[in-house]
Amino acid sequence: MSDNQTPATYVDSANDNATEQTTHFGFKQVDKGQKASLVANVFDSVAAKYDVMNDLMSMGVHRLWKRFTIDCSGVRAGNKVLDIAGGTGDLTAKFSRLVGPTGRVTLADINLSMLKVGRDKLRDRGLVSNIDYVQADAEALPFPDNHFDVVTMAFGLRNVTEKQNALNSIYRVLKPGGRLLVLEFSKPTTEQLSKLYDMYSFHILPKMGQLVANDAESYQYLAESIRMHPDQETLKGMFEQAGFEQCDYQNLTGGIVALHRGYKF
Amino acid sequence: MPTSALVAAAAESLINKILSLDEDSETRLKPLRDARLTAFVSPLPYGITLSFSDRIDVLTEQGTFEEAVASLGPKDCCIKTSLQTLPELKETSQLTRLIQQKALVLEGELKVAQHVSALFQQLDVDVEEILAQKTNDVVAHQTVKTVTAVHEKTMRALASIGQVLGNAVVEEKQLAAHKLAVMHFSDEVNVLRDRTESADARLRHLEEKLK
Ligand SMILES: C[S@@+](CC[C@H](N)C(=O)[O-])C[C@H]1O[C@@H](n2cnc3c(N)ncnc32)[C@H](O)[C@@H]1O
Repeated sequence: MSDNQTPATYVDSANDNATEQTTHFGFKQVDKGQKASLVANVFDSVAAKYDVMNDLMSMGVHRLWKRFTIDCSGVRAGNKVLDIAGGTGDLTAKFSRLVGPTGRVTLADINLSMLKVGRDKLRDRGLVSNIDYVQADAEALPFPDNHFDVVTMAFGLRNVTEKQNALNSIYRVLKPGGRLLVLEFSKPTTEQLSKLYDMYSFHILPKMGQLVANDAESYQYLAESIRMHPDQETLKGMFEQAGFEQCDYQNLTGGIVALHRGYKF
Repeated sequence: MPTSALVAAAAESLINKILSLDEDSETRLKPLRDARLTAFVSPLPYGITLSFSDRIDVLTEQGTFEEAVASLGPKDCCIKTSLQTLPELKETSQLTRLIQQKALVLEGELKVAQHVSALFQQLDVDVEEILAQKTNDVVAHQTVKTVTAVHEKTMRALASIGQVLGNAVVEEKQLAAHKLAVMHFSDEVNVLRDRTESADARLRHLEEKLK
């Protein structure tokens, strides 16, 4: 896919154009069995520079999006929290302090390189006593039923092959009364913002990736995967299909990102 | 983007910076470990929570005071008051009166509120010095001077507005905008309109390029 393709349209369903056996990997169609390892390659490749790139690409705003997610999580001392696709552990770090010594935070990610970067970072900050690190696929979580008070997934869902499976699996491990928060790129609310944003993600972002991380391809994938992710209403529907109730979402920065929330009762 | 997150981020980094400069704050933070203080201060649109560990995390409450009270833990305290009442909270002897007058609602662990109040009142920090570390001495001195001046001016302005409004209510005068003020306002609107038009043109240009 060339650098200058800038589609302004969004897919309404995660599986749009995808057949039973294939799925999206950015704009490419790949075998479903292949996607996880392709995504793994991307995050293996970006792990070391992930935090720097995140700050650079979002001009630091990702920190505010994550802060807002934590504010909406309602996390209390003593809670059990799962940060799935937690990567380098930005959310986990704050949750660890908020749940205190009587609570527990599980940082889970499918990718060992990202988990290692996260673990080293959190240990350097002295956060050790109440965090578990687990390599896990969001589609098949290795945790008991009704276990967590809060599950968060920040910028992870769009990389998952079968997103509905992931939501079902999260629903299973949440306690009744627990809540899921998914922070993910979404559909800008105005046409003009959408165009500006496309220009940024397809022209500037891969170049930044090339300059800073020497890896334009991975950042091209990130931009493409954002476009292929379900829009706000579609994702809300997927929450409901998994069994979540009182589902809502809040657009952040004009819908570039949305925070979806749902409860298990 | 929710401004609440921005405000909380700024407050958090400032508070922790200030605490790190006072050697005794570590000792004073100890009794507050794992505690939380939530404050709903009208007319601020949302509650603010200070969560204590080896540092302070600042969160914004997305729910109501009643919801926050419903989920209070054993080491938590939640207060509801107003900006006007805040200065009076320094005087602990006034608390009962304020509670009776319903100017202050306090739920949960009172000790947390007392420790937090002590923590901030006993802080021994030179704000100018903090700013100097971030900028340089001249800028810091100037900033502190400007902030103090702006604060004083604002307070004077607020006091006089209060007086004007007070008089207006008492004397039932009509507050009509001064003619000059109206002209100035309409000039500003014109400038803004020009700027909007030029931004619009730039956007259209960008759009053309993208096609
Ligand atoms: C863009 S990063 C987000 C990391 C972190 N949550 C943050 O917000 O900074 C996406 C993460 O999702 C992980 N991931 C991708 N597919 C996954 C899956 N099926 N299950 C769990 N994690 C997955 C990747 O390994 C990567 O660490």
